[in-house]
Amino acid sequence: MKTNYLFPNSFKKSSGILFVISLLGIILIPIINKDGNVIQLQSNVFALLYDEGIKTRSMSWIKDDIFPELIGIILILSGLVFAFSKEKMEDEMISKIRVESLVWATYINYAVLLFCIIFIYGLSFFSVMVYNMFTLILFFIIRFHWMLYKNDKIYNHEE
Amino acid sequence: MKNSVKVQRAIANITQAQLAEKIGVSRQTINAIEAGKYVPSTVLALKIAKLFEKSVNDIFELESTD
Repeated sequence: MKTNYLFPNSFKKSSGILFVISLLGIILIPIINKDGNVIQLQSNVFALLYDEGIKTRSMSWIKDDIFPELIGIILILSGLVFAFSKEKMEDEMISKIRVESLVWATYINYAVLLFCIIFIYGLSFFSVMVYNMFTLILFFIIRFHWMLYKNDKIYNHEE
Repeated sequence: MKNSVKVQRAIANITQAQLAEKIGVSRQTINAIEAGKYVPSTVLALKIAKLFEKSVNDIFELESTD
């Protein structure tokens, strides 16, 4: 059997739940937790680069609210595991759908990014970049599962 | 690519689900192959042929568009 670099199917459900929760988190928390007035996790972290006023400094221990970092890490890890864990019956047709979805998601992701580069300016573009960190995996997950669902609907009846 | 999987399956008197299980794919894949919507890999084609005790050429056939 060839290697396919996928996680076991047993990871799928739990990572999916985590992904949805952290996705809601990343969207809702900036609205609810503006300026960190609801949840703050002040912690000592090692920074390769950080800001001090307008100056950029490097290589030091600093104190920072790590809540956004934590959500970002959970979102990326759970997203990766959810996107790339095996289906219950992982066969070559599923692999094909997976690859096609990945190509499609990459195109869409960069199409959206190009659109934003052309039409969004200033500080607003910063949020575009923040969301763009997660959209590739999100587009892939949506497209892959939509195709699986469609595939299931078309071919799941015995002829 | 044309194929006679459905016919062979009828001759062998097995269901899509049974064929799928024997060669280790999902039923949807067998259904898609029979519908001509999915072209199986060489390995899968060989497995199907072996199961029906035929050669791959007896079951799968090139079309002019291939």
